[in-house]
Amino acid sequence: MIELIAGKYNYWIYIILMMIGFYAMIGKRNMVKKVIGMNIFQTSIILFYISIAFKKGATLPIIRETADHVAAAVEVSQYINPLPHVLMLTAIVVMVATLGVAIAILILIYRRYGTLEEDEILKKVKS
Amino acid sequence: MKEHAPVLIVVFPIMFAFITPLLGWIRKSLCYPWVILALSLSTICSLITLEEVMTGGVIHYYLGSWLPPWGIEYVVDHLNAMMLVIVSGAALLVAIYSRRSIEAELPGKMVYFYTIFLLQTTGFLGIVVTGDMFNLYVFLEIASLAGYTLIAIGEDGAPLASFRYIIMGTVGACFYLLGVGYLYMVTGSLNMADLATIIPLISDSKVVLTAFAFFMAGIAIKMALFPLHVWLPDAYTRAPSTSSALIAPLMTKISVYVMIRIFFTVFKPSFTVDVLPATDILLWLGTIAIFGGAIMALAQTDFKRMLCYIVVAEVGYMVGGIGVANSIAMQGAVLHLLNDAVMTLGLFIVAGIVTYQMKGHLLSDFNALFRKMPLTMVTFVVVALSVIGVPPTCGFFSKWYLLQGGIMAGAWGFVVALLLSSLINIILFFRIFELGYVFQSDGSHHDHGHGGFIHEAPASMLLPSVVVALGILAIGIYNQVIINNIITYVIPKF
Amino acid sequence: MKALNLLIVFLTGALLIYGTLDMPDFGDPNSPASLHVSPEYLQNTIQDTATPNAVTSLLADYRGYDTMGETTVIFTAGIACILLLRTMRKE
Repeated sequence: MIELIAGKYNYWIYIILMMIGFYAMIGKRNMVKKVIGMNIFQTSIILFYISIAFKKGATLPIIRETADHVAAAVEVSQYINPLPHVLMLTAIVVMVATLGVAIAILILIYRRYGTLEEDEILKKVKS
Repeated sequence: MKEHAPVLIVVFPIMFAFITPLLGWIRKSLCYPWVILALSLSTICSLITLEEVMTGGVIHYYLGSWLPPWGIEYVVDHLNAMMLVIVSGAALLVAIYSRRSIEAELPGKMVYFYTIFLLQTTGFLGIVVTGDMFNLYVFLEIASLAGYTLIAIGEDGAPLASFRYIIMGTVGACFYLLGVGYLYMVTGSLNMADLATIIPLISDSKVVLTAFAFFMAGIAIKMALFPLHVWLPDAYTRAPSTSSALIAPLMTKISVYVMIRIFFTVFKPSFTVDVLPATDILLWLGTIAIFGGAIMALAQTDFKRMLCYIVVAEVGYMVGGIGVANSIAMQGAVLHLLNDAVMTLGLFIVAGIVTYQMKGHLLSDFNALFRKMPLTMVTFVVVALSVIGVPPTCGFFSKWYLLQGGIMAGAWGFVVALLLSSLINIILFFRIFELGYVFQSDGSHHDHGHGGFIHEAPASMLLPSVVVALGILAIGIYNQVIINNIITYVIPKF
Repeated sequence: MKALNLLIVFLTGALLIYGTLDMPDFGDPNSPASLHVSPEYLQNTIQDTATPNAVTSLLADYRGYDTMGETTVIFTAGIACILLLRTMRKE
């Protein structure tokens, strides 16, 4: 049991963070809180991926090279896995772009209805 | 040049989209021919790619000449090639149709609208042609962002509909990303073909099962599969006519394509059908979607909203056809991908023409329309007959194969749903035909004051509608040719 | 309504945690993700791309197409904000 927790605790923490964000996205009535929940959800997915890349005792994936661009012999387990970091660079950009468009749409909604609470807007639309 | 055709399909819209704002700054009226040029080049490249796949088999294109799985690769097989032609052709037709509609509905926003239009098409094309899981996510997000924008600039209530679409769509894309992450963790690869060789070795791992579940959930949201369809009616109804004509025929079908890719190419059919009861779940969800969509469509008084529920029911046809999991139903489902894209395109173009002429899209706006816009209404009748499923239109043949497959597998709920929805479609469309034939000379307030005179749609809007109607008849008459040359290679071995 | 939302969140979280039970441990250097594709990136980055930073060479060279997609995403978001927020003067 202890080895299970010691081996997987990072994934569990990020999953709990994901679920906090997910609950905010679907459960809250205020639209700004939904957007904040979206941000938390996507950020925790990014953290989840980064934790895949980690190797115990390893350092950054910058290969030491000698003077004429010839690499020293590369011991792969000394460097962390670079691929999830690259994927997450793209995902961070996507997250920021989605946040920008979501907030622009929130501005449009506020200009039209004067409020950002979902139930008040539904009442205004129905009447 | 010909060997670069798979990537040029995506490159042309992207590069042209980057230049469109500059062009619009110089002169606004240049944007329309520029967009038509971009999409025509893209369609020509798709046709070249289709011809190459039909003669030479699957195409592998290595981006940057890095071999997979270290680099990104584009894999074009028969399903891909057909989808590419559908997407670029549909986008071209909507672009031709769009000019008058944009002038009427979004004055002064033409330049940036066309930029986002091209980017949306780029996103769709990029999703369809790629063979790498993470590349699919990037282009899915391009398509989604462009879609949120195109929907939010519509009529009253559009930003609200678009916001709900943002929340649900982001959940779907994030579930997809989670699935990719889980799979990467136990396989180490992002390439679809590579994953297909590794997954059978670890197919009893809990991680793989969870990844599969998250793929299914994420794509179901994008596909508007009942009960996750709630974003679709508001979003497509309130969007401008051009946006809904572009997004409605394509987004859901591309998501069905992604589902076929993941269920049958990445995870082999043995996993999807035997290890998990995924196809059974799909069959039930598809049947419920058909019932739900058809019944909700009956209750609508707004024409575009009715079309949205028809779209939900059509997704049910395809998903149920995949869920039946035998070759004939799969043939019907893939043929229905083609048919439904064309039919939905026709329906939404007609809706846009009616909105342009009558300044509204309620069912009551169809009053006496057969006298005023005869040619448009003829094309509408052809498309409606195809949705109902009358031979020789294409809709009949895909329904026929789905029915055959359902009967052979004993999926009686699905068969009943198909027949019932055809009946309901008859009611829906014949209601509109009846409204259209009645001539009222009391001059209702939507009338342009032309009385019974013919006031046909402008040619740039009429041409795509006629092309779609002719296409529906052609696909129906030549459906056996299409099946023998393209679809037979697509069906996985169950 | 709140109960339904909590239920969905708990089910999703439970499914995710169920999936982690078979995963490689945190920091395991012998996990499949570390052994399948990425060793070649680390070993070949100097001779293929003359860049010691493996993340840079992956981002700009091996998976440069994803970077182009990411640039397009930013461009789309920028144009989207103009389209949504700028109130156009009536021409």
